[in-house]
Amino acid sequence: MKFILIILFSINLSSGTLYEFSSDEDEKRFNSLVKDIRCPKCTAGSLASSNAPVSEDLKIKIAEMINQKKSDEEIKSYVVSRFGTDSLYEPEFNKNTYILWLSPFIFLLISLTIFLFRKRA
Amino acid sequence: MKILLKITVLLIPIIFIFMFFFLLTEKKPYPGADYKEFPIPNFNLESLYESEPLTNVDLRGDYIINIWASWCITCRIEHPYLMNLKNKRIPIIGINYKDERYDAIEWLGRYGDPYDKIIYDFKGLLALDLGVTGAPETFLVHDGVIVAHYQGEINNSIWSDVFDPIIKEKEMFK
Repeated sequence: MKFILIILFSINLSSGTLYEFSSDEDEKRFNSLVKDIRCPKCTAGSLASSNAPVSEDLKIKIAEMINQKKSDEEIKSYVVSRFGTDSLYEPEFNKNTYILWLSPFIFLLISLTIFLFRKRA
Repeated sequence: MKILLKITVLLIPIIFIFMFFFLLTEKKPYPGADYKEFPIPNFNLESLYESEPLTNVDLRGDYIINIWASWCITCRIEHPYLMNLKNKRIPIIGINYKDERYDAIEWLGRYGDPYDKIIYDFKGLLALDLGVTGAPETFLVHDGVIVAHYQGEINNSIWSDVFDPIIKEKEMFK
């Protein structure tokens, strides 16, 4: 019985947080960032879902950057510069991705035009 | 109206054919090869054997960087090719990635040491800054700037398809 109690308490003692932050705000930022960034070693999983060594390192680095008061953009651009644009689930809007972002609206516009054209005819 | 429908029906497959044509003929010889150029990140680590400090200043000229570890099975498969590169007098800088110092030294003692210098990166700090996702990975470096990166085992065909065109273009290793 004593042995079991010791084991139970020791688990409790060792369950500190892995990443230390100065405020709850920072911790929230960390949790949202690791959900927005893809694990470099995985095909689809986020950093939050991954225990791959490189994901662990990247999470430590992100926590470090948050504690250095770096902005989300700075952290994301660090990850993109190392692991490529497909590290972000939400692609940035730039000259390579504008077709991706605008194509739904273009298709909508085309279909609307066809629809209106048909109505008149 | 019917004409419009016919045009749309024709247009959709044409768009798809063009899309796949461009996607499949994209000039990327190997998945895992990357030609983004960036300078060697600043680092301050130890050498594997002597535990002496190593920084960017210690790396000069043209060389390749190879990420390896004694626990990495593919590195063992890649190893004879690295020995072959050493015999061709290509300088290789090793980054020992997340490994135990003792295991790494023993591994080199058993199979041979192809490296000019070995950086001991226990925490994977330099590797993370280089964009390494695992071992083995290899970088081609020209005057302190990374000019090619390959994820996975390098061999003769990878060397001639991924690295050789850049080596010839930049007139490296002369």
